[in-house]
Amino acid sequence: MIYFDSAATTLQKPPVVARATARAMGRLASPGRGGHRPAMEAAEVAFTCRQAAAQLFDVSDPERVVFTFNATHALNLAIKSLVRPTDTVLISGYEHNAVTRPLQALGVKIKVAESPLFRPQSMLARFDALLTPEVRCVICNHVSNVFGYALPVEGIASLCHARGVPLIVDASQSAGSLPVHLEALGAAFIAMPGHKGLFGPQGTGLLLCGEGVEVNPLLEGGTGSSSALQDMPDFLPDRLESGTHNICGIAGLLEGIRFVQRKGVGVIAAHEKRLMMQAADALTARGGVWAYVDQSQSCQSGVLSMNIAGRDCEEVAGELGRRGICVRAGLHCAPLAHRSVGTLESGTVRLSFSPFNTAREVQSFLEEIDRLL
Amino acid sequence: MVYYLIVCRSLTYAQRTATALERAGITAHILRSPKVIDQEGCSHSVKVSERNLADALMILARVGLSPKRVYIMASDGSYKEVLL
Repeated sequence: MIYFDSAATTLQKPPVVARATARAMGRLASPGRGGHRPAMEAAEVAFTCRQAAAQLFDVSDPERVVFTFNATHALNLAIKSLVRPTDTVLISGYEHNAVTRPLQALGVKIKVAESPLFRPQSMLARFDALLTPEVRCVICNHVSNVFGYALPVEGIASLCHARGVPLIVDASQSAGSLPVHLEALGAAFIAMPGHKGLFGPQGTGLLLCGEGVEVNPLLEGGTGSSSALQDMPDFLPDRLESGTHNICGIAGLLEGIRFVQRKGVGVIAAHEKRLMMQAADALTARGGVWAYVDQSQSCQSGVLSMNIAGRDCEEVAGELGRRGICVRAGLHCAPLAHRSVGTLESGTVRLSFSPFNTAREVQSFLEEIDRLL
Repeated sequence: MVYYLIVCRSLTYAQRTATALERAGITAHILRSPKVIDQEGCSHSVKVSERNLADALMILARVGLSPKRVYIMASDGSYKEVLL
């Protein structure tokens, strides 16, 4: 099997992740819920994971690393902490439903900074024009989950900073694959999954919280702290972490983060991009295939969307799947991104790479594409 | 043996506190706060020896960590709050 769907979930993970997760199942209890050894060992694992994430993502204080169940959970926490129903929110034209659906549910006014694919200066100009005084919050993803487009997040952050507007960054496709720095960006929140570029198990995610940013829980319940009080604790991470942690997942996530740290984000990024370009160049050279590629090679990560003329994207993905190649087709839960690029009707076939993929696998994929044409 | 308990607002805060002290060479042990000193319900404390308290407080001030309260455990097993 060839797995090119790491933008959904990395399936191939460092073996130590599964070992740590399984070990946790038999040895770790619940952090903060007892002074006995299994509880204290669990607490140690959780804290070590917070420290590792804080180091990787430039968070000066591990208390501001909050465990969530996925990026959607993290984004909901961030959005519902900052945004009220009467607010106006500015987002990029490449957002995922994990951003747009919570905003829709809140009933806020949404302004969309629409701009062409792989045109970061154009996008910055749109943000500059639309970031007007009534905007309460800006939300943008770091990398589009459909097209691998790395948005000019530093420039957007500078605009937000200059105008005193909080920024939420969806780092679902960049955490572990591109440098992500909370303090340098000055973002209010950065949300990310644990199960993609950080190689943790499904059911893990992180919310990085800016210093002094107001946070509101989605869930109220036990935190193992201030138990005599009926209000949720006013300090992090407890305020946002009620209920029992997914400690088995966190144990695996810790090893995934360590893997990224050992390998290096730059090395991972370069490898994934090299495979993406290998596929993009070869697909572009074939008649009847359209690959959405950044010709300048300056703002695309290891994610590539494509279509075959006259073929339904789901049909192509299905054919590839039957030949042992795992890709994802459709709208990728991001209709807004497809609308921005003009693929809302057709959808696309998406390839997304990881450090465990090889050039040989890309070659095998291309041979299967030739058989489909 | 007389020792001090530095009461922290959360487990994670206690872990940060203990890490800062250990880095400075002060032995620090995290435990659940005894019920009698736990004014708001469950919490965690960092235990340090009598001779290390002054240094510990200085280190914590330097790294910006504020103990919620500090208690001394006397030889008879009772706890008495230390006014900082």
